[in-house]
Amino acid sequence: MTSYLQIDGVTKKFGDFTALEKVDLSVRKGEFVTFLGPSGSGKTTTLMIIAGFEKATHGDVLIEGRSISRLAPHERNIGIVFQNYALFPHKTAAENVYFPLQMRSIARSAGLRKAQEMLSLVGLEGMGGRYPKELSGGQQQRVALARALVFEPSLLLLDEPLGALDKNLREQMQIEIKRIQRTLGVTTIFVTHDQSEAMSMSDRIVVFEKGRIEQAATPLDIYHRPATRFVAGFVGESNLVPAEIKDAGGVAESAALGACDFEPAEPVSPGDNVTLLIRPEHIRLSRKPIEGRKNVSMHVDTIVNYGDNSLVIGRVGDLQMRVRVLGADVVIIKEGEDCCVSWLPESVYAIPAA
Amino acid sequence: MRMLGVVVVIFIAAPLLIVVPMSFSSARSLQFPPPGYWLGYYQAYFTDLTWLRPTWNSIVIATATMVLTMVLVVPATFALVRHRFAGKSIADLMMLMPLAVPHIVMAVGYYSFLGEYRLVHTHIGVVLAHTCLSVPIAFLVLSANLKGFDRTLERAAQSLGASPIKTFIHVTLPILRPGLVISALFAFVQSFDETVVAIFISGRNAETLPRKMFDSIRQEADPVIAVISTLLFAAVLLALLAPAGWKGIRSRLRARTPPTAITTGR
Repeated sequence: MTSYLQIDGVTKKFGDFTALEKVDLSVRKGEFVTFLGPSGSGKTTTLMIIAGFEKATHGDVLIEGRSISRLAPHERNIGIVFQNYALFPHKTAAENVYFPLQMRSIARSAGLRKAQEMLSLVGLEGMGGRYPKELSGGQQQRVALARALVFEPSLLLLDEPLGALDKNLREQMQIEIKRIQRTLGVTTIFVTHDQSEAMSMSDRIVVFEKGRIEQAATPLDIYHRPATRFVAGFVGESNLVPAEIKDAGGVAESAALGACDFEPAEPVSPGDNVTLLIRPEHIRLSRKPIEGRKNVSMHVDTIVNYGDNSLVIGRVGDLQMRVRVLGADVVIIKEGEDCCVSWLPESVYAIPAA
Repeated sequence: MRMLGVVVVIFIAAPLLIVVPMSFSSARSLQFPPPGYWLGYYQAYFTDLTWLRPTWNSIVIATATMVLTMVLVVPATFALVRHRFAGKSIADLMMLMPLAVPHIVMAVGYYSFLGEYRLVHTHIGVVLAHTCLSVPIAFLVLSANLKGFDRTLERAAQSLGASPIKTFIHVTLPILRPGLVISALFAFVQSFDETVVAIFISGRNAETLPRKMFDSIRQEADPVIAVISTLLFAAVLLALLAPAGWKGIRSRLRARTPPTAITTGR
């Protein structure tokens, strides 16, 4: 894999506090990578180091093999869309988009023409004359995107750009950003704490926690084969069960579930401590045990109805379990009753204990 | 509440209602209500050098004060609002100090201090003293503006290829322009309006308009004072209404341009 953007052992300290610890990452040309993590996990700090607004205490950042650590932000040729868009209030949409071209000494008439083309690409044809305050949140977002892309940056950074938008608009913008990114083929880093956003948009997700990268993998791998307990808990809903390996072929034993078959993705040996991950949507609810599945009996405490699906929360021994049930399945069971929950061995993933 | 409002408005407007008619009065001294009306005192003001010279002095001194104040206040405000350094809170306090000290105390101080450097009765002396009084006002206005300034705009500009200097010229300065204009205007008006310090140190050479008016009202109650007051009021009114009028003209011009032709708005 040839790397386009390379982050090499980057550490960032603020006084005694270590915000980033030896972060390594390599990004391919044209890739859409999402930095996902809770606030304070280091994802934004990493972004600011790439942009040049923060200086790494140790380590280096390279684009196409050349270090950019010594370059000032304005010399880096990196487009950024900020959380609050940061449009210049005294300039029209077209002038905002023209600004980076103006800074590159491109003549006003040619520059404004290019700005208009860019505005058309983001779906703001004919809106160039408006001032930012005359535009809606979604439109301002598009202007900010056009402005960050018009000078053909070597990298596009998006810092939680959808946070301020309402749900419908956010979904629309997710699709829109993805479309524009594919059209231009620009290497993109997207920062968010919203896991569904990360899932739907990314080629690869990098999960940050406490200044470290927990895992960098495709969305499906992050979801189905999380590297750590934290990733499994942070991305999606999960049932996490501490267990011990009994058989390297795929048997683990836990206090609550007893012996439990699974399909090992990585080699394990008997005696290893692992955490078993069973996603709530992979569990089935029934009155009687189902042949060919691992069955346990659960006492149902709470049922939360979401319309198209329901969340059933219950107890297996001391273990709390969450089960996602689609539509009508939930009709068979009531709160306070006992029922049978079951899953297939391939729905169980064993996370090695770090 | 409404009654109170009316009373306050009357109280504020009353001097104007008295001074404006008096400026057109034909009486030999200030007198209200005027016995008759003519424009003689306007002619007197515009032809009498003993009035025109102080007016010119005031304009020169206020302009110089405004320039000097802004030269000092703009960098100082950026330093005090945006940076942390040792002694910052003391520096903050010193900036505002002249507001707390009575003008008469300041005036006595300037008189003896400037005397040593032979700057009493000179334009430079008055400008220096007035600048001290204008700095806190300009600083207050500008720092309030700067505190409200979103610094991600500067980061955005830099990410788009603007060097720090270009960022300042193309982004910071234009966005702060209203605050800069207002603080400069306050500095100008403060100097133009100031009387106490001017009485102490302006002398005959650098005599300012307020000082001349003060002398004149003590000696002869010359109705030209009413003329000047009226003219000043008219000037202020014009300055206040100008921006609104300009906006009206601009929006009318914009409305006339067909929408497809708008690319830059200005």
